[in-house]
Order: sequence, then C-alpha cells, then structure tokens
Amino acid sequence: MKVATTLTVNEIAYPVELDPGTNLLAAVRDVIGLTGSKEGCDDSECGACMMLLDGKPVNSCSYLALQAEGSEITTVEGLATGEKLAPLQAAFLSEGGVQCGFCTPGMLISATALLDQNPSPSEDEVRIALSGNLCRCTGYDGIIKAVLSVANAV
Amino acid sequence: MTAVEEPRAAAFVRPDGKEKVTGAGRYTADLNLTGQLVAKFRYADHTHARILRIDTARARALPGVLAVVTHEDVPDVLYGGMVKDRRLFAKEKVRFEGDIVAGVAATTAEIAECAAALIEVDYEPLPAITDFEASMGEGSALVHDDWESYEADDALLRDGNRLGYSTIVKGDAAAAMASADVVVKSRFVTDPVQGVPIEPRAVIAQWQGDKVTVWTSTQVPYAARGGIAHTLQIPESNVRVIVPLLGGGFGAKCDFHFEGHVAALARAARRPVKLVFSRREEFFAVGHRREGMVIELETGARADGTLLARRGRLVLDKGAYCGEGGFFAQMAAMHALGPYKIETADIESSLNYSTNQPSSSIRAPTAPQVCWALEQHMDELAEALGMDPIDLRRHTLIEEGTVTATGQKLERIAMKETLEKAVELIGYGQELPEDEAIGVAVGWWPCFAASSGAYVKLNGDGSGTIITGAQENGTGAVMAMPKFVAEELGMQPEDFSILYQDTDAAPSDMGSCGSQTTFNSGRAVIAAAVDLREQLLDAASDKLEAARDDLELVGGAVRVKGSPEKTVTIADLAGSGTFHGKGSGEPPEGPPAEPAEGCVGRLGLESFHAPQLIAHAARVRVDRATGVVRVLQVAAAHDCGRILNRLGADGQVYGGVVMGIGQALSEGTQLDAEGRHRNAHLTDYKLVTASDAPQIDVAWIETDTPGAGPKGSKGVGEPPCVPTAGAIANAIAKVIGSRVRSLPMTPERVWDASP
Amino acid sequence: MSVSSYVTAGSVDDVLAALAGGARPVAGGTDLVVGARSGKSSLPESLVAIHRVAELRGVRVSADGLRLGALASHEAICENEEIQARYSALADACTIVGSHATRAQGTIGGNLMNASPAMETGGPLICLGATVTLRSAAGERTIGLADLFTGPGKTVAEPGELLISVDVPAPAAGTGSAYLRLEYRRQMEIAVVGASALVTVDGGKVTDARIAMTALAPTIRHVPEAEAALIGSDGGPAAIEAAGEAVAAASSPISDVRGSAGYRRAMAAVIAGRAIEQALARARA
Repeated sequence: MKVATTLTVNEIAYPVELDPGTNLLAAVRDVIGLTGSKEGCDDSECGACMMLLDGKPVNSCSYLALQAEGSEITTVEGLATGEKLAPLQAAFLSEGGVQCGFCTPGMLISATALLDQNPSPSEDEVRIALSGNLCRCTGYDGIIKAVLSVANAV
Repeated sequence: MTAVEEPRAAAFVRPDGKEKVTGAGRYTADLNLTGQLVAKFRYADHTHARILRIDTARARALPGVLAVVTHEDVPDVLYGGMVKDRRLFAKEKVRFEGDIVAGVAATTAEIAECAAALIEVDYEPLPAITDFEASMGEGSALVHDDWESYEADDALLRDGNRLGYSTIVKGDAAAAMASADVVVKSRFVTDPVQGVPIEPRAVIAQWQGDKVTVWTSTQVPYAARGGIAHTLQIPESNVRVIVPLLGGGFGAKCDFHFEGHVAALARAARRPVKLVFSRREEFFAVGHRREGMVIELETGARADGTLLARRGRLVLDKGAYCGEGGFFAQMAAMHALGPYKIETADIESSLNYSTNQPSSSIRAPTAPQVCWALEQHMDELAEALGMDPIDLRRHTLIEEGTVTATGQKLERIAMKETLEKAVELIGYGQELPEDEAIGVAVGWWPCFAASSGAYVKLNGDGSGTIITGAQENGTGAVMAMPKFVAEELGMQPEDFSILYQDTDAAPSDMGSCGSQTTFNSGRAVIAAAVDLREQLLDAASDKLEAARDDLELVGGAVRVKGSPEKTVTIADLAGSGTFHGKGSGEPPEGPPAEPAEGCVGRLGLESFHAPQLIAHAARVRVDRATGVVRVLQVAAAHDCGRILNRLGADGQVYGGVVMGIGQALSEGTQLDAEGRHRNAHLTDYKLVTASDAPQIDVAWIETDTPGAGPKGSKGVGEPPCVPTAGAIANAIAKVIGSRVRSLPMTPERVWDASP
Repeated sequence: MSVSSYVTAGSVDDVLAALAGGARPVAGGTDLVVGARSGKSSLPESLVAIHRVAELRGVRVSADGLRLGALASHEAICENEEIQARYSALADACTIVGSHATRAQGTIGGNLMNASPAMETGGPLICLGATVTLRSAAGERTIGLADLFTGPGKTVAEPGELLISVDVPAPAAGTGSAYLRLEYRRQMEIAVVGASALVTVDGGKVTDARIAMTALAPTIRHVPEAEAALIGSDGGPAAIEAAGEAVAAASSPISDVRGSAGYRRAMAAVIAGRAIEQALARARA
C-alpha cells in the first residue's frame, strides 16, 4: 500500500508516495534523492542519519516518514546558504573536524540543534549533545573545537 | 630534534572537505544505476559443517529473483593473501558464521532476502574449533582438511591448523634467565576487536560486454581488482575498480572482499547489482577483525633493570581464512620484543586457524594487544625490581646505535624523547586523588616500502591534474599531494586537481594500508612532478633562449635566475605543447638485520624500516566499587619523522588514541560456544562517544631517520592506537593494586581483578 | 511483513477507534521502528500515528502533583525546572535516556508501554507513586504504575487501550529522590543495573522510603525489604548499606553480554546505595 503525502525538506515541498513502513531516512535518500544523510547502523546508535524535525534532532532511520507530514525537515544539504557554508560547516573544515566525512552530516545536524537551543554551551555540554553521533576517525577533538569556536564567535 | 609547535592556523584544509560538509559528496551506497538489482547473501547456518547439498530451485523460482549464484557458477579457484584457502562461495565446507554459501540478486531487498532464505542447504555439522590455542594441538580436527595442497608462501611454516609460525632467537635465553636477579612471568588474553568504520561496506558491479566496472568501498582498489580478476578468471584489464568517497576503513576495508561476489551476481543477472551491508553484517560477515590472542611473557633482569632475557609465547586466532593477515605471527613476535634493548630472546609465535571469523589487518595489526600485554609486563618487572616504571624504560629503551634482538642496528630515532615528552605533558609524579593514577606505555611500528606510481599532467590553461593510485580513506594523506607537486613546480596547491581511486587511470598502488600513502605514493607523485619540471625547463630553455641551468620555477612561471624580466608563464608553456610527468621513485632499501640462525618464519619484518616510536601516558579514574574506568587525559608523543600536515597528523593521533581507549575498555567481540557473534551491533559493541573521549595532548618529536619517506616523513596513521591500552592498563593497576589480564578491561573485569 | 494500514489520528477518539480495529499506536518511533529495523520484531500491519493528538501532550505541574501527557518527551520532562526540583529521580532518568535525539523524540507513554525491564523512567515513577490512565473505546481505568508491568515487553493493557497520561502525586515535604544507573559510557547506555530511591526525612529520621530496581528482574519493581531497612532509621551508612544489600538480595539478574548475574547483583547494592545517598542529600537540602 502506498500513501500519498508531502514532505518538506530544506524548505522544498516534495509530493511523494510511500509505503507506511518507510522510515524517514529511506524516504529522503531513496525517494526524494538527497543522499547527504547516511545510514550507518540499524539500531539508532550511530547518528549518521540525523535530521532536524521542526528544529529537533531525530534519528531519521527510526522515524516513520509519514509522521513527518506537516513538519519542517532539515538535512545537511539545507545548512549552507547557496555556496556560502554555514559557520559550523566552515569550522568543521578549519578545525580538523572532517576526515572520512561519513559521520559529518549527522554531526553537523546535532551541533546545529545544540547551538539553536543553547548558543553558548560548555565543552561538556557539546560532548553530551554529540554523544549520539559516533565518529571513528577524529577522536571528536576537531569536532568539539569546531562547535566551540562557532559558539564563542556568536 | 625539536618538538613542533606549529599553530593550528597554519593548517591546511582538505580539498574534499566542502563536499563532505555539504552532503554533496557521494559514497558508494549513495550511487544507483539504471536497472540495478539488490544483492543479499545466504550465510553459513553452522560455524563449521560439511555441505552435503545446495538446492537453489525455490529461490530461483521466486518472482523478482534474477540470479542465484553458488560455487557451481564461478571458476573453481581459491584466493587469499599468503595462503590461497578460500572460495567466493563455500563448496565442501563452511568454516565460520559469515561464510557465504550463495548470493542472490533480486529487484528488491525484501525479495532478495526471502530468496536467500529459500535456498536449501543440507549440512553435516562438525564441532566448532573455537579454541585457537588448542587447535594447534595433536589430534585437533582440521579447519582446512586440504591445507597441504594450498598454494602458499613457504616462509609461513604451515602445519595443520597452524597457518604461520615465527620465532626470534638470540643468544642463550634460558641461561640468561637463570642468571637474572629478577624474573617476572605473565599471561594475558585478548578478545577480538572490530574496525567499525561508520560507513558499512557497499559494492556495485556493472558489466559492459566482457568488462566489469566495480564501485566499492575498499581501501585497496588494486587488490580488489586483482581479486575479481583471479576469482572470475578474467584479465585485470577487463576490471575497473572505482572508489567513491570512502567512509573510513581502519584496515577493515583492506583486502579483496565482496567485489567478486557482486561481480559474479551482476554477470549472472545481466544487470547492475548493488550490495550494501547492514551494521550486523559489518560485524559478523567481514573476514577482517583484530585477532584474539594469548600472550605469555617472561623477562629476566639484572637488579639495575638491564634486560637479560625475554621469553615469549604468542598464539593468535587467525580465524577461518588467511586473507592478507599471513604476516601476523612475525609481526606479533616483533612487538613482544618491543622497542627495548634485550640481551637474549626466545620468542615463538603461532597464527592458528579456527572456525571463528577471520582476522586480518586492523590499524597496526597485532601491535595494540601485544603492546598492552608487554607494557603491563614491564610495569610488573619495574615493581619486582623496586624501580619506577619510567626509570626502567629510560634504562632499557632503544636508541641510536642499539642492535635489536633481531640484529638490526638502529639509526637515528627518538624513542626516549617521546617518553620524556609524554611524561612531561601528563605531569607524571603530580599529586592525584586516590582513585586516579597515571600509566605510561611505549610502542613501535615500521614503515612499509612499496612500489607506487603517479602522473602529473598540465592542462592547456596551466592548471594541473595529479593522477595517483593512492587511496584516500579519510586521513587526508592523498589531499597533501597537490602541496608536494606545487612545491616542485613553483605553483600553488590550488592549481591542481587530483584524480584517484580509479584503477583504469593510475598506476598500481598498495592502497591505504600500512600508513604508506605519503611514504610511497607521495614519493611517486614527487617523482612525477620532477619529471614534469624537467620537461618545462626544456621547453622554457628553448623559448627564453637561456641555458637550462640558469632557469628556475617560481610563482607559476619559469624565469632566468637574476633576470626576472626574462620569464615565461607555465600557462603559456602549457598551451604550446603536451606536458605530462610520470614517476614512481625508488622504494628505499629496508635496513639490514642479521637474525640468529634459529629465527624462523621470516617474512622481512625482522627489521623495522624507519621505525615510528610512540609513548602514551594516560591519567584515569577508577570507580573501585563498580570497576568503571574513565580516561581523563592522554598525552601522546610520537616520532613519525617530519610532520608535513600538522592538522592531518594531529587528527590521526586524536582518532587513534580514542580507538585505543575503546580497545582498552569497551570494545570486544563476544562469541558463543559455536563461535557466533553475541554483540554484532553498536548497542553492545561499545565505541567511545564524544562524552567519554578525554583531553588529548599531542606532541611530535621530529627526527631525520635514514630511509624515511618524502621530506623526512615516516607514517602517521597506525601508531596512534598502539600503546594507549597499555598506558590505561598500567594506570588501572596503580589504582586497584592488581592487574587486569583480559582485554578489553571492562568494568566487570576490573571489578573482578580488584582485591 | 509490510504495513497495510496507516492513519494519523487527530484526537484520542480517533486513536481509540483505530486501536479497536487492531491498530498499534506509534508516537516517536524510537522503540517500534528501531525494533523493526534491527530485526527484533516486524512493524505491525496496522498503525495509528498519535503524535499530532493535542490532548496527549503536555507537562503540567500543580500543587497537587504532576501530570504528563503520553506524548511528553524525555526532553520536555528533564528540562522542566519544577520536575528537576521536586521529582528529581524522574528528571535524572529522562536526562540520561539515549541521545539528545532519543530524548527529543521519545515519549513517556512509549517508554512505559514498551515495558523494558531496563527502561530509565519506570523506577523513578514507581517510587514517586505514579498512576497511569488507560482508555479504550469501552472506558477508562487508572492503575498504579507498578501494576502495569507483567514481564519484559508485557503490560496489563488490553489491545484496545491507550495510555493517556501519567499522574504523580506531589511528594511530601522533606522528600528527595534520585535515579542512578551503572554506566559503562556516560551516554548512549542501556542500564545494566539501575536504582531509584525516594526518601522523606523529618528531623534526623527517615519517615518514608521507596526503593526500586531496574534491569535486575523481569519487571521494574520496588523492594519493600530495602524500604524497611531505611524507614525509621537515621539514614546513616549502616542503614544505606542494609538497604543496598536488600536490593541485591531481592534481585534476580540474568547473565548476558552486558554483565554476569553475579556482577549485576553486586552492583545492585552499590548503585542502590548511591541512589539512596543522593536522595537523602536532596531531601536534606
């Protein structure tokens, strides 16, 4: 059974037809075609699929796509303004927060959610907020520095 | 010899960064081809069993299934690194949980899964051989009945379930042990550990006529190409391997893995076929984990700490197949020596088959476990001697002029300096709360010289393209290539694009393994740039009517020295002809070693080429009542030669240390009695999170080690995860007053070990 | 295998009608969808999405107590300052559930109805004397939370019943509470052992105590023997130790990849003792 609905991703409305069991990650990647969000696990542990749902972080692999009807979905592709990188994106690069890049989209989303809610977090608050995003390359050091550098600049 | 204090601002931002932070970058799983099918595997239903019958009829009959492939559908050939012992699809036997009996290609994942389950396989179950220490004993059942018939490297000294055997013998260790003032003896056991790249592996294969193109998440595209060609018995020229962005590897994506299976399915289905692993498959099905080990060490010392004798007995779990890990026995033996001056040695190391998941290279294979054991053993020796463990290491560590137990005379290295730096950074000796302590560990790791090749071509507008076989796994090592080339040509790094990770474009390369990208691929790229420079000088010499020796390349132009008005820009030259340099550079000779006659199983690791030296110090807090350990701070000092990209090099240390903390405390695969994974998921295979990662202080001791790579560099990627667990173990022991002898040192194990 | 029916409910009545027709409710998806993806249990054939039902939202604190709508998220609960101050054990629990995404999306109703013996919020709410209101097309009933759980993943709720709200009476003056779990990591943990404590002190004496254990039995439950060890005592080290030992004695832990039964039992005493200490410190503050 397919259900017709509209999903709004990065301020663009997409009419889609989905099987009700489709999770939000699969809908955005496979149906809408935005592949920035990644699939890294099957039990909501890695955070590579993280999106914002009305500004709140969600593991999109564990959220039914149809439930997102009427909500604003933000993915990593929605963070930059045209060619201009968001401050967090630029800081991830300058502080060494990016290596293989597979966790980066989810990390950026988590960090965006954190700074929206708490513009001047402590280092420990940053570490807690990013704990749902696993990174195997950076030891988190460059990522934490990047988030703190943006927080301190605000 | 100076510690580098380069400010982070001077750091270099990776050219692939923008696509990674915007989500525009494409990894293998992000690609889709028209007509593409989904691949699923039917895995072994037993960890050890004889296959009696495979019937695929019901699977083939399922609507939506376009291909089912078993051993009958591919050439009857074996593959593997130093031992050819494995088939793409199991034929007579299955030998571990993840052995593949059949593959299915279908229009949807659900249909493919359903079809895989419909394949009927009859087995005669055989007893699992999970105890890899017992598996080399007399009368043990064989994992490979036909092991003697396998094509293999004779130096491995195979015998039944023993795939590799290596010894290091120097002098009369028994006599020296008997004469020692103090002797300590220890036994340690380690659980297997997984690489866990955050990107699960993905492969897409598409045939066009006799040629197949394979997009795959591999660290070693040329090995993948060779594996496909060999297993499908087609020429390498008919196989093109392309690696889109790679989401981490850590060794787990080294070796030829699933590219052959997917190519076989695509050929049978006459459609492109895509395989994407689940996280569960990424744990149990990959033939590539860090091996479990049993490590027994005995050291005799004089009262002043001088190491008179080291005996060691190492047993390594190879699992079901060789893969590319055939060299582990000798590598482990070298780490049982460690970076120490030892007068006599008698070490034997066995690499044994079992019906467990195969082990192969994971970041600095064998080193973290043996180092964890040896460094605890050294602290035990210090305690028995009544010496401070740092003083014992000061007295016994290798230095320039040391002749190692394998007869390698060491040239300029900075082992002791790394120790002093780590001790200084951590504040060794400071007053600490009673539940905190500092532990220290040291380690070493070789460089691997290998051939590589590269082209540098100029485009008509004066921009350039670097074509390298190097593989980028996330470290950023390939990203440094434009800097090397620009320096040779008097241009800017931004003037160059990089074409890499396409086996049809570039010369063969070892891949992103062995910390070798800068060491070997970098050397080739520089040689290609030098070749191009010579061509530009020739052309400019004609154009400027000046002697070649009077010319220099500066600021994007060739000019006559001392006459800046006599200039031709590289863009002008580029428009006037075709310029392309090629190079491979000479792989530097490894240092000689003269091991004693009794040393066997020699695979070339008895000397460590341009060794990298590491000292880590860790400050930890132990909750004695629960055994929970928190790592509060790690100081990491490395001699990796000259550091060419501080941001990238620091990133390797941060990541390696945090991986080391995971290995120390929480990462361990648990197997049941049959050798099946019990925790093949991230909930219970626990990686370190951001909230558990400590402050890490990094220092580089820059030395000019003979035989180093380009610009005095060695390697950087693997050493950072070597001594971390040992440092943590020594700190835990100081707090609880006893030793944790199993790795990982989980809360329960720490609590159990507490008096 | 696949979901054949899906409706988005606009009201509780919509939900109850769907449940009467055999549908299963889904709110934040953190248990249901994860369970399906990891292969534990496939998605139900018929789903009713309840996340838009306004009547099920809200966190309301009054002089009489606390009312949580079934859709109250862990984040909304742990960020509420009054809950932090007066219902501290519940705030402790909601603060450490999963990751910030789990806390933002996961709901109290979903957490309770999933009935995991390792869930964080169950123990604190049992200690706080919470009741839950279940409603079906046939009517409504309110039961003590401790009576909701019958086994791992099992509750007394009938298939047509929906958890509407959780009510918690205001704690007496001089009450403090705390929830602690044994954590291998600081975040992203599932309790290996958890303990909740609520104590009321008057003068130097403990006048009331509620102790519950998590991940130590097939359901989360309170431990009367531990409570008896505290009530009437001075809340000193001996009483705390006796209460901790009582929790260990009452536990029936399993051995699994996360720890052996013996380790869990030993940790039960340690973690319960620490939870009691923290609750006492809060009660005395």
